[in-house]
Formats: sequence, C-alpha cells, structure tokens
Amino acid sequence: MEEGEGSNGGVFEGGLEVRVLVVDDSPVERRMVEGLLKKSGAMFQVIAVDSGKRAMEVLGLTDDKAEQPTVDDQKVDIILTDYSMPEMTGYDLLKTVKEQSCRKPIPVIIMSSENEPQRISRCRAIGAEDFILKPLQTNDVLRLRSYARPVELSPRTGTKRKMTLELMAENSSSDRRPRLTGLAVS
Amino acid sequence: MELGSLQRRYIDFTTALFREGFLDNQYTQLQQLQDESNPEFVLEVVTLFFEDSEKLLDELSRTLDQQVVDYKKVDAHVHQLKGSSASIGAQRVKNVCMAFRNFCEERNQEGCLRCLQQVRQEYFLVKSKLETLFRLEKQILAAGGSVPVLW
Repeated sequence: MEEGEGSNGGVFEGGLEVRVLVVDDSPVERRMVEGLLKKSGAMFQVIAVDSGKRAMEVLGLTDDKAEQPTVDDQKVDIILTDYSMPEMTGYDLLKTVKEQSCRKPIPVIIMSSENEPQRISRCRAIGAEDFILKPLQTNDVLRLRSYARPVELSPRTGTKRKMTLELMAENSSSDRRPRLTGLAVS
Repeated sequence: MELGSLQRRYIDFTTALFREGFLDNQYTQLQQLQDESNPEFVLEVVTLFFEDSEKLLDELSRTLDQQVVDYKKVDAHVHQLKGSSASIGAQRVKNVCMAFRNFCEERNQEGCLRCLQQVRQEYFLVKSKLETLFRLEKQILAAGGSVPVLW
C-alpha cells in the first residue's frame, strides 16, 4: 500500500489539489486509478491503500481513536473505493464514513466492475455520491473534482449551492455507467 | 535489425495483438497514461499484472485442489484476475474469467478446472506477447528511434 505525501494539498493553477483516497485491494487496479488521477492535469493528490481497514486508519476512524475527527484533521476530500473487497467491503466503508457526524462528510464514490441496480441502490440509500463502472476512464476521473467538498467561499461571493441527487434511468446494455448524478442548483 | 524494419515489425505485431483479441482499448488507455513524468508506467503496471496474476493462478490451483472446494474463495480470486486483466486490456484473459465465474456459481469443479487451464494458457500467451512487445520497444529505442504511436 502507498500513501501520498503531504496532508494539506498543493496549489495549482485554478485552485487547491483535490485529495483523493483510493481504496482497492487489487494492486493493478489501484495503480491504474492512481495513474488516471495523476494524468488529469495535476488536479489530484492521491493516497492509495489496499483495504477498507487501512482507509479507516488514514481517515482516523479506527476503534482506538477516542474522539471523532474534526474537519481540520481530515486529510481527504474524496474517497474513491472499490465495492468488492475482502473483510471490509466498499459498502462497509461507505456506511462507516457516512455515519460520522462531522460537519462536512467526505464524499464517497463507489467503483465496481458489476453493473447491478441493487448494488447501486444500496449504495445510494446510504449516501454514496456516485457509482462508477470499472475499468475507469479519463472522463470518469475528470468529474470527480465536482464531488470535492465545496471550499469555504469568501463573503463577497455569497453563493449558496444545493446538492440534489437523481438516479438516472440507464439502458444497461448500451451504457456502461449507471450512476448517481449530483446536480448543483443555485 | 535496421530501425525501419524494427518499427514496421512493431506496428504489425501490435496490430495483430488487437486483431486477435489479445489486447483491447484498455491497453491503449494504459499507453496514453505514460508520459515524461511517468515514462515507465506501462511496464510498471504490466509487471504488477504479471506478479498478481501468477500469484492468483497459484492460489486458484491450490484452492481447486482441495478435497472440499471453497467456491467463494475461487470466485474471489477469479474476480480479482478478471478486474486486473480488464484494467490493462488483456481481453482474452478477462473473457475466460467471466466464464470461470459462471462455473464457480454453479459449483462445477470440472468446469472450473477447465477454465483454470484455459485462463492459465491465455495468461501465459499474453505475457509472452507483451514481453515481445517490450523487447521490440527497447530495440527501437536502442537503435535511436522512437516507438510508433498507434493511437
């Protein structure tokens, strides 16, 4: 397993890097996703781990932590996790993350090679922001940026955004990506 | 061999790999992720695939050889092999894995053993092809040329 360097993100033209925690037990797929994220114009800082348990450690959600992590402690902007993993599945990880009562719950995107409507519904029901079919493509990672938690805006902008989720009706034979879609409505 | 011949051989060999179904567009995506900041990305990922696949094939042999076969374990290994082969575009390996998973679901030991033999065959075939491809790339670079880009 690997960990990215730094915890506060770097700065590139256009804003802060988005810190993505990639969780996948397959070393090949983990490396591919990491490559895809890093190729996408230096927008992502990647932390890659090989299990849900390891992800919990990175997120500070292990049993031995006495307190809930504060927003300042969180080193991750998005979690991109495989669904099928031994011991702790992506679903288990999603559930644990969403059960945290911190002010800004981390967005969780599920990756799976199986296009199963029941699986997608299960994930959606407990708050997954999106569900992406594997193998991931370049345009899959490009839209990850939209799921990063909104940066605190300065008072002069004063824009409010409301996120709604719609389940898109997909033709499963022709579309490789049945997914949840986040819509920002001003 | 002269540079031009090497490059032609590379083009013909690569084209055949795609035509014969050994590789699919995912391999092209893998190649597109390689750049100056990541000059060995393809070799790195494919090497990971080789290591991971051989480990999985050994595990599958061991698991299917048991008196009482744990089909859940077999399925988990095949699922991982299917995922990694799909990731790098090893299409024929991926396709055998899909059939393999069906036999796991049916708890069909004979079917699983046949698939294991087949997936092992397809894996070693694609491994050999990819090693030849990398050898050709190395020879082209050593001859002072650049590797043809086919996408």
